[in-house]
Amino acid sequence: MKAFRLERQLDLDPRRAALYRILGALCALLLGALVLVATGRNPVWILGQAIDAIFSRQRGIEGVALRATPILMTALSVALCLRLRIWNIGAGGQFLAGAFAAVGVGINLDAPGWVVLFAMAAAGTLAGAAWILVPALARAYWGVNEIITTLLLNFVAVQLAAWAALGFWRDEEAFAIQSTKSIEDTLPGIPGTESLSIALFFPLVIAGVLWWVFRSTRAGYEIDMIGGNPKAAAFAGINVPRRMVAVMLVTGAIAGLGGMIQLAGSPGAQQLNAGFGAQYGLSGFIVATIAAGSFLGLVVAGFLIAAMFFAGLILQTRGLSVYIILALYGIILIGVAVGEIAARFRLVRADLDIAPPESP
Amino acid sequence: MAEGPSQPALEALGISKSFGGITALDAVDFEVAQGEVHALLGENGAGKTTLSNILAGLYRADAGRVLVDGTHCEFHTPSQAIAAGVGMVHQHFRLVEPMTVAENIHLGWMDTPRVCARRVLAARAEQFMEEIGLHVDPMAYIWQLSVGEQQRVEILRVLARGARILILDEPTAVLTAHEAVDLFEVLRRLVRGGRSVVFISHKLKEVLDVSDRVTVLRDGVRKVTREAEGATVRELAVLMTGEAGEIKVEHRKVAGKVALGVSGLTARNDRNLVAVNGVDLSVREGEIVGIAGVSGNGQTELAEVLAGMRTAEHGSVHVGDQDITNASPREIIDHGVGHIPEDRIGMGMVLPASVADNAVLRHYRRDELSTGLGLDRTAVAAFAEQLVTSARVQTRSLDGTVGELSGGNQQRLLAHREAAVADRVMVASHPSRGLDVLAAQEVQSTLIDLRDAGCAILLISDDLDEILLMSDRVAVMYEGEVVGLFESAEADRDRIGILMGGQLDTDGRR
Repeated sequence: MKAFRLERQLDLDPRRAALYRILGALCALLLGALVLVATGRNPVWILGQAIDAIFSRQRGIEGVALRATPILMTALSVALCLRLRIWNIGAGGQFLAGAFAAVGVGINLDAPGWVVLFAMAAAGTLAGAAWILVPALARAYWGVNEIITTLLLNFVAVQLAAWAALGFWRDEEAFAIQSTKSIEDTLPGIPGTESLSIALFFPLVIAGVLWWVFRSTRAGYEIDMIGGNPKAAAFAGINVPRRMVAVMLVTGAIAGLGGMIQLAGSPGAQQLNAGFGAQYGLSGFIVATIAAGSFLGLVVAGFLIAAMFFAGLILQTRGLSVYIILALYGIILIGVAVGEIAARFRLVRADLDIAPPESP
Repeated sequence: MAEGPSQPALEALGISKSFGGITALDAVDFEVAQGEVHALLGENGAGKTTLSNILAGLYRADAGRVLVDGTHCEFHTPSQAIAAGVGMVHQHFRLVEPMTVAENIHLGWMDTPRVCARRVLAARAEQFMEEIGLHVDPMAYIWQLSVGEQQRVEILRVLARGARILILDEPTAVLTAHEAVDLFEVLRRLVRGGRSVVFISHKLKEVLDVSDRVTVLRDGVRKVTREAEGATVRELAVLMTGEAGEIKVEHRKVAGKVALGVSGLTARNDRNLVAVNGVDLSVREGEIVGIAGVSGNGQTELAEVLAGMRTAEHGSVHVGDQDITNASPREIIDHGVGHIPEDRIGMGMVLPASVADNAVLRHYRRDELSTGLGLDRTAVAAFAEQLVTSARVQTRSLDGTVGELSGGNQQRLLAHREAAVADRVMVASHPSRGLDVLAAQEVQSTLIDLRDAGCAILLISDDLDEILLMSDRVAVMYEGEVVGLFESAEADRDRIGILMGGQLDTDGRR
C-alpha cells in the first residue's frame, strides 16, 4: 500500500528554515485577512491604509522607528538568552525594572544633565540585571525552570511600577493618570527628525556587537556549545553554571537599558506608570522567535512588527479594534512556529508496510 | 527437566530483527517447555532483551514465527501477548509509585471492574495472591515496598492477567542476595504449578542454580541450548564471550613510568550509592590497561571521575607526579588527558552544532585557535579539516551538524579529537560499542597508534573480546572494586568471565 507520510529531515538547511518561517508568517497574515473578510471588512483597503499611514509622512516612518526601539531591546534580550536555549519570558519585567530605576535616579538626582543620564543608564542596566538574578541563579545551580520564574517576576515589576506611580514617586500635580513625576533630562534628539532620539542607535549597536560576539569570539562559541549540549560544554571545560548566570544577567541588563532609553528617549514617556511599555515584552518575544538566532534578522523583524504596531494605532482611528492587531500577533507567532517545525519535515509517498513504532 | 513428549509452551522459530541496519537477532530458534525455568544467557548486546521483547509483543520480528502451545501467534501489543499467555517483567519496573499494590495490579486491565472501590480491588488482589501463592500487602503503596516486593507486584500483575509463560529480564540485577534467593523459590513454585519461566541473566552461577535449561546468545546468534545440569560456569563463559577479534595487537610488558595513577578511589553514582569503591590502578606510558566487567559495576563512574565530570569522595588521581584529583575538566584537558565518553551523544558531542565546532570542542582555548577574546574561525576550520581528514570522517561539509553524521563517523571524529587531547593519558569507554566492524577497528587502531606514541590508555569495555585483544594488562571490575588483575599473557578468558560474574576466584580472591 502506498500512502503519503511525513518524513523527518536530518539536515536542516538554514535558508530553507528561514523560508518556511516567512511562509508561516504569510499564511498567518492570510488567515488574519480571512477573519477580516468574514467580519465584513476589506483587508486590501486596510493594508493600503496601513502602508499609507506609514510611508506618506515623515511622522509615519519616525513612528515606526520610535516603536521599534523598545521592541528591539527586549527582542535582543530574549534572543541572546535563546542562544543558551533558555527562555527569558521576563524581558518585559526587566524593561520595567530598568525604567523604574532610571526614573528614580532621574527625579531624585540633582546634577548636570549628562551626569544624570549616565547615572540613569547605569541604574537601568543594573536593575534589569538584578531582576533576572534570582531566576538565573536558580536555573544555573538548581535547574529551576526559568520560564516560570522570569514570567512571574513580570507581574512583580508591574506592581512595583504601580506602587511608585501611586505612592512614593507620585506626581502630585497630575489628576487623570496616576504616574510618577517626570524626569527632566532626556536623550539628545537626532537632528533632522521631529521625535527620534539617539535611543534608536542603542539596539542597532547592541545587535552589531552581539553579531560580532557570536561570529568571532570565544565567549560566543562557548554560549552556543552550552545551548547545544550543556553536558558536552562542561566536558569541554566550560564552567557552565557561571557562564549561564553571566549571560542571563546580560540579557536582563539589555532589557533594563531598554526601559531607561524608552523613558529618556521617547517623546511623552518621561514618567513611569503601571502600563509603561506594556506590549514590549511580548513583542520582543515574537521578534526574537521569528529571527531564530539571527541578529540581523532580528532587526528586520523588529521593524516589521513595529510597523504593524504603528499601523494598528493609526487603524484604530479608522474603526479597527486594537485587539485585532494583538490577535494578528498571536497568529503570526503560531504561523512562524508551525513553519519552523514544517521545515523539518518533508512529505513523501512511500510503502506502508513498516509497522508503526511501538513504545516499549 | 528434559524435553517432555508434550508440545513446548512457547516456541520461536527463525527470529531475526535489526535496528537501523544493525543486526540484533539473526534467525534465532528458542523454545520453552511447560514447567521449566529456561535461562537466556549472553553478554550485553547479545540480543537477549530484543528476543524477549519480541516474545512479549513489544517489538515485531523482521522475520520468524512465534508459537504459543503450538499455535502461530502474531503480537502487536504486550496485552495481546499476555492474552495469549506470555507476560514479561522488565528490569526497570513499570509501577505507579503513589498508588497501592492492588491498584497497580488492576491498572490498564480489561477485567478491572469499571466502578471499583479500593476495598474491592484489594479483595480481588488478595484472591489472586492466594491462587498464585505470592503475597504482598494489597493496600500498601508501591513506594513503601522494598525492591524485591515491587518485583513481586510486577510478577503478580503479569500472572493475574493469565500469563503462563513469564519472562524475567535480569530480575536479580536489582535484588540483594537474600531477595534473589526468595525470588528463586518463587520461580520454582511457579514452575511446579505448571507455568514456565524465561530467566534472562548474565550471572552464570545463579543461572545454573535456578534453571532447567540454558540457551546462550552471542551477537544475535544462538550458540547453544542445553541442560543446566552438568554445565559448568567456565564452559558457559566461553560460549558467552566467544573468540578473539580480528586485528592483531602485539602485547608487551611495559616498564615505563606510571602516567596515570589511581589510588583508593571512591565515588558515588547519580543515585548517591557508592559505585567506585577503593580502586587502585596504574597505567604506564605506552601501555593499555583494559577494564573488563559487566556494565554497571562502576566503570562509568570511574571514567567520569578521571575526566573531571564526577567528584571523587576519597582517594587520588595522578597524572605523572601531578595530583589531578577533582580537578576541573579544563585542568584535566590541560594535563593532556583525553576521554572517549561512554555517552558519546550526551557528553561527547554537541549534536546541533557543526562538525567544525565539535572538532575544536576540547581544543578551542589553545593558542593557535584563540587570540585574546577572539576565536579564529579560519584556524578552527583548518584544524577541523585536518582532523576530519585524518579520522576519515565522511561528511558533506564542515558546517553540517554532527547530528547528521552516522554513528561510526561521529565516533571516528570523537576518537581522533580525544587522541589529539591525549598527550599523556587516554580514558576510552566502550570505544567501539555499537559500531560496525570497520569503524570499530579504525577506532581500535587509533588507540593502538596512541599507545605506540607513548600514551597511557585505560580501556573500559564490556566486550571481553575487545579487552583481551587490546590490553597489555587486564583488570576486572565487579561492584565497584577491582577484583582481579592479569598480565595479558596470563589473562585467561574463563577466569575473567567468572570474575566478571562476581564469583570467587579459585585462589580464594574475589
